[in-house]
Amino acid sequence: MANPAAGTVSREIFSSETVFTNELERVFAPSWAFVGHTSQFAADGDYVLSRVGQESVIVVRESGGAINVLLNSCRHRGMPVCRYDAGNASAFTCSYHAWSYDLEGALTGVPRLNDAYHGELDRSQWGLVKARVAIFYGSIWASFDQTAPDFGAFLGDMAYYIRDLMQSPDGEDDGYEVIGGILKWRMPCNWKFGAENFAGDHYHNYSHRSVDRLNISLSGKPARHPLAAIQTPYKFLNIAHPGGHTVRANLYEALAGYQSMWGEEPEVDAYFRAAHERRQKRLGERARLVSRGGVVFPNMHYNTGGRSTIGIWVPVSAAETEVWRWLFVPREAPQIVKDTLRHFYLRYVGPAGMTEQDDMENWSAAQRGTSGVTARKFPFNFQLNINAAQRAWPEAWLGADAMVTAGVSEHNQRSFYTRWNDLMSA
Amino acid sequence: MSAPPNAHEAGLAQLLLQREVEALYTHEAELLDDRHFTAWLDLFTADVRYWMPIARNVAFDRPLAEYTRERADANWFDEGKDDLAKRVQQIEGGDHWAEEPRSRTSHLITNVNVAEIRGTEMTVHCRFIVSQNRQAHDVNFFTGKRIDILRRTATLQVAHRAGTFQVAHRTIYLDQSVLLAKSLTTFF
Repeated sequence: MANPAAGTVSREIFSSETVFTNELERVFAPSWAFVGHTSQFAADGDYVLSRVGQESVIVVRESGGAINVLLNSCRHRGMPVCRYDAGNASAFTCSYHAWSYDLEGALTGVPRLNDAYHGELDRSQWGLVKARVAIFYGSIWASFDQTAPDFGAFLGDMAYYIRDLMQSPDGEDDGYEVIGGILKWRMPCNWKFGAENFAGDHYHNYSHRSVDRLNISLSGKPARHPLAAIQTPYKFLNIAHPGGHTVRANLYEALAGYQSMWGEEPEVDAYFRAAHERRQKRLGERARLVSRGGVVFPNMHYNTGGRSTIGIWVPVSAAETEVWRWLFVPREAPQIVKDTLRHFYLRYVGPAGMTEQDDMENWSAAQRGTSGVTARKFPFNFQLNINAAQRAWPEAWLGADAMVTAGVSEHNQRSFYTRWNDLMSA
Repeated sequence: MSAPPNAHEAGLAQLLLQREVEALYTHEAELLDDRHFTAWLDLFTADVRYWMPIARNVAFDRPLAEYTRERADANWFDEGKDDLAKRVQQIEGGDHWAEEPRSRTSHLITNVNVAEIRGTEMTVHCRFIVSQNRQAHDVNFFTGKRIDILRRTATLQVAHRAGTFQVAHRTIYLDQSVLLAKSLTTFF
């Protein structure tokens, strides 16, 4: 189906419902899913709905502060026991027969327990299905696979980049908070078009010509991306890890002073200048590496580099995907920095985002090229900069598991499909 | 029995105002559907806020949590005239693939209700149906409620043929929580 070593991928894996169904079992189920961020839970009882793979889950803070992730499906008839996107609760009661569960998922209330179940229902066996949960620098992850490796092993060396993603621009750990409101929208294409694009498609700049011409970056310079304002020479790295997790990052040739990236807003620019200096002090040599974004296999994707967003591709069907996107601002930043980032995000990302609109247009059009009886006999080409990856290069501190190319490349996409292949053919 | 003359005049004034507002909205819809986006921008004051919140599914006793907040939360749109102008420039460049080739749209505005008048400003409620068709098969159907603050600008710099009102604030409540369209490339 996918032959990343040869740089080809069958079009059928984007259009076949059989492949799609197998993916849910083999690709999604054994992986850890990003489900939210601790800043979404200010008080005990606060909950939000999220997704693990295709399925609805309740992410809830129980008394004492621990986060639980519960399958949102009554054990009696499968109804969602939570019908609201967010709120505060002390219990979840099914609207059908009123089975009731506490915030740990334990079945606490069953109507007619004594006179009709004759006291014989063992409630301890009929709690909500509970996921394993990992909290990593504020990000919340879940898996229903009891035999999968723990989150740290799943992430491997990618841990460095997710920690980095959750660091505010000054390098402070767990330095972000979510802006209220999650963007959720549908797009008529396979989830992998989004995943492979975020994995490392530096080749698709042409897609975004219109926003580069309009300078939506707020840098005051003609580009869509704040980092485009930096003049220090750098290598654009595509960094892939064995778990299929990939990173796009700029590796600057040398540590340099701040170069204005938010010039249209002087106060914001001043914040990023100070943050830049603090980050260099904290990280030293490794501050040369500025991550732009990446993918935690299979469907968590993010952008960072001073503008952090996290998303998931929710697989709906072979040809339909629901996208969820969380927008982050540095928790300790002045309000004007938060407001400016929010403004930047709303103009850039999502279905009203001037940049991502063109991505979704292209992915949806590509989807139409996957199902024709003639077209699907001809695989997609993934040979860009093939056989060029080097291990732990150009700096050994990228880690012994890091396979890296520089410049435009489909290396990260090939790594994504290598992992995908391994799971699908296991 | 006929109404006293002053009530009659008040009724007539109300009717004329209603007519003027509806003419503005008809004119606006024509500008959008005929793709005169730059002229459409002239219908907005320089300080306009164009805001479309995201709807959430919330419990009956938390109605205020249904929509995300202007200037605070994530929203579909929460922006000013400069941003709208950039969107227009994007569409008009021929390289914005989500609008190239361009959509065929029809904006239907109805249930126009002048809810409150305060000096030179008034609040107007209406409903919209926007149909959007692109390429061969793309169809989007948007319905919702709109609340505008219209401002009568005595020294209107750009007189549009619908009258002397401009939109000073626009709230767009789209009747969707998960957006069922892949992009919002049309205006509301």
